Amino acid sequence: MSQDLEATLAEAKQKILACESAHALKDIERIYVGKKGVVAGLLAKIPGLPAAQRRDAGKTANQLKQAVLQAVTARQGELASSEIEAQRSGAGFDATLPPGRTVRGSLHPITQVTRELEDLFQSMGYQVLDGPEVELDYYNFEALNIPANHPARDSHDTFFCEGDGHLVMRTHTSPVQVRAMERLEPPYRIVVPGKCFRQETTDASHDHTFHQMEGLVVDKDISVAHLIGAMKTLLRGIFGRDLEVRLRPGYFPFVEPGFELDARCPFCDSGCSVCKRTTWIELLPCGLVHPNVLRAGGLDPDEWGGFAFGLGLSRLVMLRHGIDDVRHLLGCDLRFLEQF
Amino acid sequence: MYVSYRWLSRHVDLTGISPEQLCDDLTLSTAEVEGLERFAPHLSDVVVGSVLAREKHPDADKLSVCTVDIGQGEPATIVCGAPNVATGQKVAVATPGTVLPGDFKIKKSKIRGVTSAGMICSVSELELGDEHDGIWVLPDEAAVGVPVADALGVDDWVIEIDNKSLTHRPDLWGHRGIAGELGAIYSRALQPLCFEMPAHGQATPYPVQIESEACSRYVALPIDGARAQTSPDWLRWLLLAIGQRPIDLLVDLSNFVMLDIGQPNHTFDRQRLSDQGITVRMASAGETMQTLDGEERKLQPSDLLICSDTQPVALAGIMGGEGSKVGDDTKALLLEVATFDATTVRRTSSRLGLRTDSSARFEKSLDPTMPMRAAAYFARLLQEIQPEVSLPAAPTDAGDWTDPAHSLMLRTERVRQALGKPIPDEEIGDILGRLGFVVEAQNDGFAVGVPSPRATKDVTIERDLVEEVGRIYRYGNIAERVMTADVRPPPPDERRVFVRRIQDRLAGSAHFHEAIGYSFVDDDLLEKLGMLSLPHVRVVNPANQGQDKVRRSIVPSLLSGLETNRRRLSDVRLFEVGKGYLPEHSNDRGEPRERHLVGLVLAAPPPGKQATFDADGFTQLYGVVTDLLDALGLEAPEWSAGEALPSWAHPNKALCARYPDHDEPAVILADLEPGLAPAFGLSGDLTSDVALAEISLDALLDAPRRGSRYRPIPRFPGIKVDVAVALPTETPSASVVESIIKAGKGSVADIELFDLYRGESIGADRKSLAYHVLLQSESRTLTDKDERKFLKRFEELLGELGADLRGGSG
Repeated sequence: MSQDLEATLAEAKQKILACESAHALKDIERIYVGKKGVVAGLLAKIPGLPAAQRRDAGKTANQLKQAVLQAVTARQGELASSEIEAQRSGAGFDATLPPGRTVRGSLHPITQVTRELEDLFQSMGYQVLDGPEVELDYYNFEALNIPANHPARDSHDTFFCEGDGHLVMRTHTSPVQVRAMERLEPPYRIVVPGKCFRQETTDASHDHTFHQMEGLVVDKDISVAHLIGAMKTLLRGIFGRDLEVRLRPGYFPFVEPGFELDARCPFCDSGCSVCKRTTWIELLPCGLVHPNVLRAGGLDPDEWGGFAFGLGLSRLVMLRHGIDDVRHLLGCDLRFLEQF
Repeated sequence: MYVSYRWLSRHVDLTGISPEQLCDDLTLSTAEVEGLERFAPHLSDVVVGSVLAREKHPDADKLSVCTVDIGQGEPATIVCGAPNVATGQKVAVATPGTVLPGDFKIKKSKIRGVTSAGMICSVSELELGDEHDGIWVLPDEAAVGVPVADALGVDDWVIEIDNKSLTHRPDLWGHRGIAGELGAIYSRALQPLCFEMPAHGQATPYPVQIESEACSRYVALPIDGARAQTSPDWLRWLLLAIGQRPIDLLVDLSNFVMLDIGQPNHTFDRQRLSDQGITVRMASAGETMQTLDGEERKLQPSDLLICSDTQPVALAGIMGGEGSKVGDDTKALLLEVATFDATTVRRTSSRLGLRTDSSARFEKSLDPTMPMRAAAYFARLLQEIQPEVSLPAAPTDAGDWTDPAHSLMLRTERVRQALGKPIPDEEIGDILGRLGFVVEAQNDGFAVGVPSPRATKDVTIERDLVEEVGRIYRYGNIAERVMTADVRPPPPDERRVFVRRIQDRLAGSAHFHEAIGYSFVDDDLLEKLGMLSLPHVRVVNPANQGQDKVRRSIVPSLLSGLETNRRRLSDVRLFEVGKGYLPEHSNDRGEPRERHLVGLVLAAPPPGKQATFDADGFTQLYGVVTDLLDALGLEAPEWSAGEALPSWAHPNKALCARYPDHDEPAVILADLEPGLAPAFGLSGDLTSDVALAEISLDALLDAPRRGSRYRPIPRFPGIKVDVAVALPTETPSASVVESIIKAGKGSVADIELFDLYRGESIGADRKSLAYHVLLQSESRTLTDKDERKFLKRFEELLGELGADLRGGSG
């Protein structure tokens, strides 16, 4: 390569190394190896050269071109990595800026807890059933061993529907017990979530409408021992751990014997406002299905038995989320609903 | 019900059993104890003092300065304002530091220059009675310096038992009944009680005539020589402990008998009764009587009355009459102890809203063997206090009653099976024996004699005895067992599957919030919506006035909170899954038709001028609902302009989706009726674009399912063509879509409307619609030539519609 060309190459390399942007680099590349660039100029001159020089001239022009391109590529690489370096420095990043907003909807907390329990029960072979809110007196009371004028009716604070008195707003989900017995072939296990109604004064802890989940198992040879086992499993499912439980007598005409199941308060060790300082919370009324109820459902109590239980879904939701006023649950105030 | 620990210990030895222990045991074996409180706790802080001297206060006429020995070194100087304080009295002294009821802390203080080291208390200051005109004078034998509670032997605990847990136990409505349970729990025998009638004279027994079956037994016992007096202390303290105000011996004794052995009774002033005797009969229509509380009661033929001759003197089992009550001048008594029909008493007392201690007991079906024993018990107690009292005649025992005691067969294997615990026969027999059952071994179990107090209602079948054994054995002693069974997957429940998918879809990609509303709907709301006159299931005893109707539909409930929500949020999206009831479609059992519904509301400020053509609520909600039906795997329904719309729907901006073979529309989708917006507060700042939808789950379940076959991925690239069409406003866009399909001759793979424009540039009464069209073939790559052919055919078809192609480009 001639001295001139050496100088040209040195000058090109210098420019390339000094170049700070990919764009400028392209310009330089064009000046040297573009269509009208330095190398092109050299090649254009070749036909005018003596034949003996042509070969060398072509060769050196090509060498120059290769050398420039090599330098450009190398510089391109350097520029690209310094660009990544610059990005990597994260200049201007503020770790305290808030996250972007996503638009979302929500499921009602009662729906959420109902689903969890339905799934839990379904995994244990229970079937989920539904029953009407406007219920026949027969299923709500009569078939459940609570005949007309039974004193237990008083404690139900029933909403009676207009007409000849055979319709009520169901006071519990238990009417589905006999409805199920009429429809299903034993043995079976069912749960029934749904709304219930009691005519009582509304305050922070009582509402005239609330949600319950009824459970019923009908099978042969069912005992209190099985009931205890099933209830413990249920509580494990709800609270995610084993809770000490106690069973004590409770009176519900549709079970015999009937129980109240208390669990050790999951929120304290030595008494809190949830357990009213007793360390026990009353969770589940339950019992062995009364022979009269089995009979009402067309089952022979000497052949079939079972147990039933009722879970207060509204109460469970309140316990879970620390909701202090039951009246928040029903209604369409988005300030409440959008939290779930 | 309140129960006194000290009272219980009159019936059963409670040595070594703390009140706390007792409460736990009652809760675990018998009935729920709701509370345990020390009786009058301040009586343990206040001490007995002896007034050594009383002098007049030097500076105040009505005050005295007393020197009181309180058993601690120097006697204390106490200023006292009571007129009855006197030297030599034993009094109750609250020393400095003592806290009296009402958080009243006693301090050493100067009263008109004299330092007083405490207070001599009155009965009312200790909340033991109303008398406040003087200090409380204690009996002479009270030991000085000892807490008053100990000195008087009235230290006690008050146990509150949940009444509901006693609903089925008429025998537990008195202390003796509860003591009997404790006896069974602790294996301790009850103290004997004498129920033998004292000697009586030979006068003619009191005439009693029973004219109604609602009274199965009526014992009438005339008593002479009784007089009004304050009850003895033992009686007063027991009554006080359970919160009963002592009144007068005759009243207190009547209460005591009820609270002790659970049998209500009533005392009449015999001089105020007619000579004709007592008649028990049903009231006649329109009859009235004045009860003891001074109220005039309107009676009905279902009310049972106790009459003196023909005049009502008591509402049987509930309350006595004003005219015949015992008073200060009563000397001759007539004691009534009866058994009344539970239902009759319950019905009358609930109708009149008159619940008394007596009616609460009769409602539970009382043991008819009790009246004679209770009468004897009353007479004996009265004679102990007033020995001059005599019984002029034998008690009258009227009525047609039978002893309910009966016998049940108990298969002990059944007990073991039902409880899931191998309890031996001997233990079962022992438990039943402790509970007062008479047990006799038979082939494979026991013949069990049920005593009368347990036999009226509670223990009637074998299973009832299983409970008796279980609760005394203690359920806590039964180990849990796992159920084994063939677990089969439950039958599919499509409605539940649909509900879950709908909830998930709405709360997910559609970002709606789920609400759960009340089933009752406000009259105000129905009135606003013009739905008040529709048939509704109604309750006769609503929780609140104007909330007696059970909803037919869900949408109204969702509208009720719209104003509050819109005030806070620009975009309100709510849904609810719930039920509606139609009474006009009742079945032959009288059950109203139940509808399973989903309601949706979407409310936002009206879209601005720059908004895209599909930014309005209606279009948005239409999209949400269509997506929902698609996500459920349903075929697309037939959408048509709404007809027979509910009153909330805009009459001319509504759509109904229908499926074949179902009368009811599957979806009603509409803007809110414009006239309703102001009524819901949606005007001015809150002017909103409100779209509503109601979906019938019942109709969806009947709907045909869309196939779920996979569509092959196209092998040849398609061509995207955009077309813009100007056409008369009233020409439906569907006709343009039809033309696109036709023009494509089977090659149209997708059509998407991307603009809708109305404006001057295209002329009045005209609109412009612009679509992305995708042309695609399964057999070859389409070319520009295909596009030109398509556009040409399309333009021809548009001509037939009176529409122009404003532009078409690939």
